[in-house]
Amino acid sequence: MSLSRMFYLYKKMYSQQLKAILEYNKDFYILMFSAALTQVLGFIFLWVIYDRIPDINGWKFWEVTFMYAMIFLTEGIASLFFEGTWRMSRLVNQGELDRYLLRPVPVVLQIFCTGIGINGLGNVLIGGVIVWQSLVHSNLEWSLTKIAIILLLLITAVIIRVSINLAGNSAAFWIRNARNAFPLMVHNLADLAKYPITLFPQAIRIFISTALPYAFISYYPATYIFGKSEWSGWWMLAPVAAIGSAAAAYGIFRLGLLRYESTGN
Amino acid sequence: MSVIRIKKYSSIANRSLQNILAYRISYVIGFLANFLNLLAIYFLWHGIYSGRESLGGYTWDQMKTYLLVTFLANAVLSWYSETSISGKILDGSVAADLLKPIDFQTARFAETLGSSLLEGTLSAVLIGVFLLFTSGVSVPHSPLVYGLFAVSLLAAMLVKFGVVYLAALLCFWSTGSLGIVWTRIALTNLLSGALVPLAFFPGWLEKLALWLPFQSIIHTPTMIFLQQAESWEALKLIGIQCFWGVALWIAGKFMWNWAVRQVTIHGG
Repeated sequence: MSLSRMFYLYKKMYSQQLKAILEYNKDFYILMFSAALTQVLGFIFLWVIYDRIPDINGWKFWEVTFMYAMIFLTEGIASLFFEGTWRMSRLVNQGELDRYLLRPVPVVLQIFCTGIGINGLGNVLIGGVIVWQSLVHSNLEWSLTKIAIILLLLITAVIIRVSINLAGNSAAFWIRNARNAFPLMVHNLADLAKYPITLFPQAIRIFISTALPYAFISYYPATYIFGKSEWSGWWMLAPVAAIGSAAAAYGIFRLGLLRYESTGN
Repeated sequence: MSVIRIKKYSSIANRSLQNILAYRISYVIGFLANFLNLLAIYFLWHGIYSGRESLGGYTWDQMKTYLLVTFLANAVLSWYSETSISGKILDGSVAADLLKPIDFQTARFAETLGSSLLEGTLSAVLIGVFLLFTSGVSVPHSPLVYGLFAVSLLAAMLVKFGVVYLAALLCFWSTGSLGIVWTRIALTNLLSGALVPLAFFPGWLEKLALWLPFQSIIHTPTMIFLQQAESWEALKLIGIQCFWGVALWIAGKFMWNWAVRQVTIHGG
């Protein structure tokens, strides 16, 4: 199936979901507000800390807020456009995946469009503002290449995020329990990447750079943008991490799909 | 009569404990997720303290203790009890509760106590493991402090239940619980001192936080455990906790009476 066709189908399915979600608009605002509030309070936390100390391990306030906000920004984009991964445990447990398997549309694409996490809008807005403010306050030297690289890093960050979500939620094929908390645990590990990874012991650093490459969403882009010389060049691994995690996530998903055996009614 | 009443509610507490045990794998995973969060925060603070003696009146050893006590106080009343109350309201099973000869609020509190028993034990074990790998956590020696701490932890639970219950009742007006739960968690984390000790706040925010009920949940137990409040001061703080616990309980009663009139339950 061609890429443009897939994009067209995605758009169609997405707009249907959008109609559904607009029906419950009170919830819509509360969710958006709560996501934004959660992020702002984390920002206040950093602000309160930095009010007392100039830097943490050589990282300044706006550099850490950048990493912090990147985690939320990518989470926001993932829940706005790829929220369906979080509905997988329901799809599998209630046998709803049957319908998807019958349609001549890639199953992953249908899963992506199973829902819209409107809370993502709050995260994208606040995350975007903090990222923007971080870039403005850090006295960077701008050039066209730099902008292009930042955009590239943003795209790889989203790919990594969505891939990890997909892989984590594929656990639904193995753990058949409606209250499966495994994906949430994988998701929460992103907390480790909200701060400079040099804070952590070697084992954790390697873990969030390889197995769950959250560090490529926040830390490595930050080392490039803020010109941390001891880490120069590391950002180039971000596209590799993105392709690797996407391939691995898809592989895990296909493997899980082989185990899928409806519900029998 | 009163014996029967206690029996009624203690069997509810027991049921909620059994319920967790039935879904134990998920429960343990969820619990581990919280623990990972503690690790992240621990290393963050470690970095913040590197090369510094004390911050905001806390030494690094005291901060370690602070983090562990916060973890314990947070763990005894977690996400689990939170979603079960709002879930009842959202899926309409509250209708069945209205027919039963039990008080809704007390029954939910009994449920919470039941799951807290397990949560408390589990987190105590995890903290024990954590202590094996870290050194210098300052632990009080006087048994009186432990006694006061236990009382204040219980009072903190009552206050937290009050906050959670009020937030859950808001679900009578909304169609989803997630947004309300998140807002509740975010506000409680900041204003209770779970994120950062209240002493770190700028003056006006610290004052505001001390006037609100949230500080009873984390701030007070940690003050007592770190012996920042001596015995009389500690008793006063526990008194404030009890005040908030009772006030929120009464507020919950009023709100419930008002909220049940809003019930719309579809089909069935």
